[in-house]
Amino acid sequence: MNINATLLGQTLAFVLFVAICWRYVWPPIIAIMEEREKRISDGLEAAKKANDSLEEAKLNYEAELDKAKSESADIVEKANQRASQIISEAKTKAEAEAEKIIASANKNLEAEINKTKEALRKDVSEIIVSTTEKILGDEISQEKHEKIISEAAQKI
Amino acid sequence: MATESSEITTTGYIEHHLTNLICGKTEKGWTCDPYMADQMGFWSFHVDSLGWSVFLGLVFIGLFRMGIPKLSTEAPSGIQNFVEMCVEFVNENVQSIFTSAKNPIIGPMALTVLVWVFLMNLMDLVPVDYLPTLAGNIAAFTGLVEEPGDAYFKVVPTTDPNITLGMALAVFVLIIFYSIKMKGLKGFVAELTLHPFGKYLIPVNFVLEFVNLIAKPISLGLRLFGNLYAGEMIFILIALMLVFNSIAIGLLGVGLHIIWALFHILILALQAFIFMVLTIVYLAMAHETEDH
Repeated sequence: MNINATLLGQTLAFVLFVAICWRYVWPPIIAIMEEREKRISDGLEAAKKANDSLEEAKLNYEAELDKAKSESADIVEKANQRASQIISEAKTKAEAEAEKIIASANKNLEAEINKTKEALRKDVSEIIVSTTEKILGDEISQEKHEKIISEAAQKI
Repeated sequence: MATESSEITTTGYIEHHLTNLICGKTEKGWTCDPYMADQMGFWSFHVDSLGWSVFLGLVFIGLFRMGIPKLSTEAPSGIQNFVEMCVEFVNENVQSIFTSAKNPIIGPMALTVLVWVFLMNLMDLVPVDYLPTLAGNIAAFTGLVEEPGDAYFKVVPTTDPNITLGMALAVFVLIIFYSIKMKGLKGFVAELTLHPFGKYLIPVNFVLEFVNLIAKPISLGLRLFGNLYAGEMIFILIALMLVFNSIAIGLLGVGLHIIWALFHILILALQAFIFMVLTIVYLAMAHETEDH
């Protein structure tokens, strides 16, 4: 084993390769690795956050659902109430209408009856007058005639 | 080589595998002639070790740069997975050792050490004769040497003490640099001289602490070298079994080679890891500012 200038050559080579590694090899690799490390931890953090917000959203959703359910139940109840109200209103209205119709019909009927009664009375008085005329055989003046008839009609 | 040279000897075979391709300065100037190797002084280079070392360093940079353009913050895949796994592993180690002080260069340095040393160690798993034979034949073909066996080519950089001690030297320089930077020159000198025995035994303290300091790079470099050199040596010895013209011994050699290679995978990774951890630990110690 003989020591010679190879030793110095290797020392120089060593320094050069260390310098190259230090300048061009090590930093980019370390930088990328650190960046990836950061990205992974960020990703995990984000996943955790997403999980949390998912839980929250679930809770929110359930609360909203409950609210909606109770609201819809309210609405249905109100609608039912309104419907029954409308029905009862319609019923009363119809009843009133019916009563009104019946009343007016009755009134008409009465009027008809009265009219008929009047006509009958008139006919009867005329018949009586004519009969009386015939019986008396004498003709009473027209004026007296009319008077008698109306008097008779009044009396009937 | 076994087939090329008729008069192969065990010693020659081993020596051939343990000799580097060397280029250096001789009295007649710079040369890569293997026949002139013993005339070269300090100013010579193991071209094979350095070449493989730089090549594998480029492989490391290329591999990790290739991972980057595909990098995204989406799920990683393929090479990016591997790159990120390495970076994360190194980063964890650095952060567990560097608890108080922060230094942005430690991470990249630890990553470089781990992957680069591992790749250099990994060359040990290439069967010992393949690349030297190839290089020898190329050298003979191009006329650099007379016979393929004359060209030396050592493939595993970490079996060359120059390579391991070269890296340890860089680490040592950084240890001293950060010691002085964090503690001041005064603090560094005080650390070397004022304990364990207090100010009345400064020379003794200095000897103890200096040995302690100097032992760091030497043990760092020699540990890696020793492990890999021994492993390589065993591969060579196993390969030698194929030289004898005996089918039984040859088969035994193949079996042993597989077993040792499997076991060696562990050593390769472990030694790269130890080199990295010790680098981090030594530098962390250099950053410690508290008084003892």
